[in-house]
Amino acid sequence: MTLWVLIGIVIKILMIVGITQGTVAYLILVERKIAAYAQDRIGPNRCGAQFGLPAALLQPLADGAKMLLKEDVVPKYVTKPLYILAPWIAIVTAMIGFAVVPFGPVGPNQLIDFQIAPNVDMGLLYVLAVGSLAVYGVILAGWASNNKYAFIGGLRSSAQLISYELPLGMSILGMLLLAGSLDMNQVIAWQSQNAWGVLVQPLGFILFFTSAFAETNRLPFDLPESEQELVGGFHTEYSAMKFGMFFLGEYLHIITVSFITVILFWGGWHLPFLGLTPESSGLIDTLLKVGIITGKVFLAILFIMWIRWTLPRFRYDQLMDLAWKSMIPLALINLVATAGIVQLVRTYWN
Amino acid sequence: MSTDFTPIFLFLAIAVGTGLSMLALSALLGPRKETRVKQMPYESGMDPIGDARQRFDVRFYLVAIAFLLFDVELLYLYPWAVAQWSAEPALAVANSAGVVLTAGVPPIFRAMVFWEIMVFVAILTAAFAYAWKKGVFEWR
Repeated sequence: MTLWVLIGIVIKILMIVGITQGTVAYLILVERKIAAYAQDRIGPNRCGAQFGLPAALLQPLADGAKMLLKEDVVPKYVTKPLYILAPWIAIVTAMIGFAVVPFGPVGPNQLIDFQIAPNVDMGLLYVLAVGSLAVYGVILAGWASNNKYAFIGGLRSSAQLISYELPLGMSILGMLLLAGSLDMNQVIAWQSQNAWGVLVQPLGFILFFTSAFAETNRLPFDLPESEQELVGGFHTEYSAMKFGMFFLGEYLHIITVSFITVILFWGGWHLPFLGLTPESSGLIDTLLKVGIITGKVFLAILFIMWIRWTLPRFRYDQLMDLAWKSMIPLALINLVATAGIVQLVRTYWN
Repeated sequence: MSTDFTPIFLFLAIAVGTGLSMLALSALLGPRKETRVKQMPYESGMDPIGDARQRFDVRFYLVAIAFLLFDVELLYLYPWAVAQWSAEPALAVANSAGVVLTAGVPPIFRAMVFWEIMVFVAILTAAFAYAWKKGVFEWR
């Protein structure tokens, strides 16, 4: 590997980091706008109006500057090393999950590999592994804060995150069995040649998407920070950019989870009747593929934000019942049924 | 098969740097006016009663243990799910390096491996049913 290849990788990484962080900043604006429309308000509309920009387009810049310029309070009674480590873990684990996510075509005959690490065969396993590390940020923040609200929030959150990780992991097994690979490009290629994951694994899709809501702490699963009971949950004692880092990590998780949903179940860059194949390269096809996959991801994110204003929050015992008493048994049934049907069809049909 | 982790480690280094610079910038740029009340743990404006690090419900431990068991068993299913049909030439797709992988469970063993996995899942389900019966998942 030459120096130039390394420099190329670093440039690609820096671009991805810039794009994802910028997207997160604007997702917060989108979220506030959707919240406003759902509640029959206008929402933020001032920031940027001075320069003739509509719809508060400069709001994310103002938010970012404010996070950096506010006082960074470290209360006296916290366990300081862990208190500082927690937001750092939250942001790092949220960022590195993106390393194996393809956001466009990848392959030897493509113009560029739209993926930071294109030659990793176990991409899905990596994403799941790194995504589950986020629980450390939450539980450390809750414990180190030495605050009752934060402590209870951290406990609840970690129990919720580990509970929903099981259906999350089980629901993708059916897709893996069908596509025969952990490489996301191959999963997309399989779907482009056969059928979208949501058609062949409808139950798997529902289980995966529901667990994804819980894993990203989104309503209706935002028990860790249920404001009415726990103030801010595990990040009650955090201020300034440390709070911002938790926020950023959470939104990065939403982006990653949306990408995985689109790649596993919505066919990735594939749309019927467009004639896109895994091998098709060329400028137009490449742009189409990138546009389709990012468009689908944007739809998934909008759906996640829309759900927030549609469903009320669960009670904690309902939340745990849903994970252990409905979703895990359903995921097991889905796994056994998929394995059996695939075995029958592929042995006796062909 | 070529698995290249260099970009992942580079990305990790950049992510670590980004996190550190965020912490440092915030600490450097923000004002610092410490007062005694601001240094107290927040408890809805009241003086805090007792320490926050109290004993908590044992059910959190139970959930953690149940999770550990099932997660490790789940991890065994991934290699199987990938390998079961990946040796089928009719289904093989080229990976991102342009290589068609034909490694996996050989066709004659497929039925046997399938039934073995079914037994494995049955044992897993039995353990799950036992934990359920014992009330591990009761939260009321």
